[in-house]
Amino acid sequence: MQIDRPVTISSQMVDALCAIVGREGVIYGEEELLVYECDAYTIEKQLPNVVVLPRTTEEVAAVVKLCAEHQLPIIPRGAGTSLSGTVLAVTGGVMIALTRMNRILEIDYRNRRALVEAGCVNAWVTNAVKSRGLLFAPDPSSQGACTIGGNVATNSGGPHTLKYGVTTNHVLGFEMVLPDGEIIWLGTRPDGGEEVDGYDLRGAVIGSEGMFGVVTRVLVRLIRAPQMYKTLLGVFESVDDASCTVSDIIAAGMVPGAMEMMDQLITQAIEAAYHFGFPLDAGAVLIVELDGLAAGLERQAERVIEICKQNRAREVRVAKTEQERMDLWKCRKRAFGAIGRLSPNFLTQDGVVPRSKLPEMMRFIRACSERHGLRIPNVFHAGDGNIHPLVLYDERDPDQVRRALAAGHDILSKCVELGGSVTGEHGIGVEKIDFMEKQFSKDDLDAMRTLRRIFDPENRCNPHKMFPGSKRCADFAPRKQIAA
Amino acid sequence: MTPKPSSVAELQRLLSEASARKARVGRIDLTSLNRVVAHTPEDMTATVEAGITLAALQAELGKHRQRLPVDPPGGERLTIGEVIDTHASGPRRFGYGTVRDYLIGLTVVLADGTVIKSGGKVVKNVAGYDLAKLFIGGQGSLGVVLEATFKLRPLPESEQFVRAACDTLEKAEKLIDAVVGSELTPMVFDLHRLASSGPAPLTVVLGFAGTREEVEWQLGRAGELGLKEACSLDYEAEFRASGVASHRWSVLPSRLAGAVRELDGAPFVARAGNGIIYHGGARVGGRETVPSALMTRLKDAFDPGHILPEMQ
Repeated sequence: MQIDRPVTISSQMVDALCAIVGREGVIYGEEELLVYECDAYTIEKQLPNVVVLPRTTEEVAAVVKLCAEHQLPIIPRGAGTSLSGTVLAVTGGVMIALTRMNRILEIDYRNRRALVEAGCVNAWVTNAVKSRGLLFAPDPSSQGACTIGGNVATNSGGPHTLKYGVTTNHVLGFEMVLPDGEIIWLGTRPDGGEEVDGYDLRGAVIGSEGMFGVVTRVLVRLIRAPQMYKTLLGVFESVDDASCTVSDIIAAGMVPGAMEMMDQLITQAIEAAYHFGFPLDAGAVLIVELDGLAAGLERQAERVIEICKQNRAREVRVAKTEQERMDLWKCRKRAFGAIGRLSPNFLTQDGVVPRSKLPEMMRFIRACSERHGLRIPNVFHAGDGNIHPLVLYDERDPDQVRRALAAGHDILSKCVELGGSVTGEHGIGVEKIDFMEKQFSKDDLDAMRTLRRIFDPENRCNPHKMFPGSKRCADFAPRKQIAA
Repeated sequence: MTPKPSSVAELQRLLSEASARKARVGRIDLTSLNRVVAHTPEDMTATVEAGITLAALQAELGKHRQRLPVDPPGGERLTIGEVIDTHASGPRRFGYGTVRDYLIGLTVVLADGTVIKSGGKVVKNVAGYDLAKLFIGGQGSLGVVLEATFKLRPLPESEQFVRAACDTLEKAEKLIDAVVGSELTPMVFDLHRLASSGPAPLTVVLGFAGTREEVEWQLGRAGELGLKEACSLDYEAEFRASGVASHRWSVLPSRLAGAVRELDGAPFVARAGNGIIYHGGARVGGRETVPSALMTRLKDAFDPGHILPEMQ
């Protein structure tokens, strides 16, 4: 069963929601709902019928139960920074925004754990514990806004996943409200041991894109902050040379905290926006960050510099102060923001290829850019083989929109062909539904559907995502869409 | 007789026939399916069939100075399929995590003989649900693991272990707290009491891995805390081979000493940093489980005829 018609909600239903979360916790006027019509994937838009802003798990459960009684779709939402339409209300429905449940509830320094509400902003966790030498490892570029609950939904990564892993490696357990309103806890409890008997349902829920229920509280693992960082910036004539450097560093048996690459177009945009001092004529710049104990880090840095030079690096700069290091990362993490100077709109892709295929992939993207007549700057997690080509277009020109989508499609198809994936950290959402059949067999998808039914037998939680055959916004309300 | 399929097709047939007859399938010997399908050193990934032993895999990876940093005892006999089924781990768990942290792709034969895949061979991938997690520690109850892809780690330049004997639990607890509060980043952080231990029954063990400089610096610091005596990790195998019943008890790491007190003198090996105790004697302590209704629905959906083993 799947709700596949536009949802309507009565004024009595709105009153009932107000009775649960209070009138100031319910948004239903069209003007105010506009904020919730899309996430950072802006090509498709749709208004939810109503947004509720609960303050407690009990309020979430009561809202979810009410929706279950009335067969209404529920769409959990964090900060809406997702990039694949993951929180789009495709048929309309009741959006449950966790932004008011944003507290850090407990920090257990001895056991290196923190219990937070799902709407807690990612960066707040590290900010709260860094004075004690700890940090929360997943650090997506949107970490100043994105929520821990959203990180759980998308299994978020960030530049430092190369060494430290992604969200699933750093979330010990969580409380969630199932689509029938039942409150459960999965995984390690705040005062419990890390081993839990039974199936790893925690692991199955992480990355399920909000389709299994509403996560309300999360127990995260904190790790010791590195004693020292050594952050290097290699300047290369070409993306190929920088890519080979990445492979050679791995082959030398080093695991840097991060290896991030930016090509010439994006470097120029960043320089225009933030004036870091990047060379404007370099083919690529590569950020390599080594971290860990101070002992031995200097020798590793020398080895990295040597490898850069072997690959014809024009120069290698080393961040001399913590401020220089922070400035460098600020430029990297705000790269998407700098794109506004190049183009009114951009479409971000999130493909992954085996590291060794990066040079081939980059050549393909250049050819793709020429073929479709659109500029495609690149900024990406080179160490993981996770690319983020940014296809630039102007949404006022329908032909550009069409070409942008076609270019994105070509790039992701190539990732699959090279043995990779169509998404490394942004998720499938509505954007990449059509690729699921390229990457997975019918049997694989059936097994995923089976898993979903365990949690949500009515397919009511965040419907029309992930699976081929889902409805699109265009099926309901073309007025909210640009011509695509 | 234990069935020993020599091909994927044979394994599929075995399961689909059992499903049709609703006949229980006992242990399946997968040691004929033991190939290294691919090892790409420059990508630091490897794909192997489930019947390969952990030791055979490590030998292969070692040729390129890489390893899967998962070290349950008995790697010469333990297959990768068993490591996944039982979520087996060893002393390096504190620093490296478990097989859950390295598995990036999984191929499984379901109860009806269908082959499904999840994940892939790239180190970062969120396409589709993370089905593979259900099979880690799933005891073969949802399907038979056929092939696994792992991300790997380079072999460290240096790896050293040191220990300190403690004659009372209070002293051991104090030492453990000192390590937690220090700048040390050990890969191994254990406490054990073996049946063969002499008058100083408790031993704290630390292991360090990394560059020579990192390891030397840490050995110096550990020495200042009283951890000076070089050692090996043989105690793990000795404990497991000693035949004492081994129960697993997982507690908040800060409650480890309290838990050890309740063991009433029974031999044990504990991952002190993780709060996991493997002990002899009678079972102590409660066990955390996931909600049983979801467990049942999952089993019924993936193995409707209940032909595969039940979760213990």
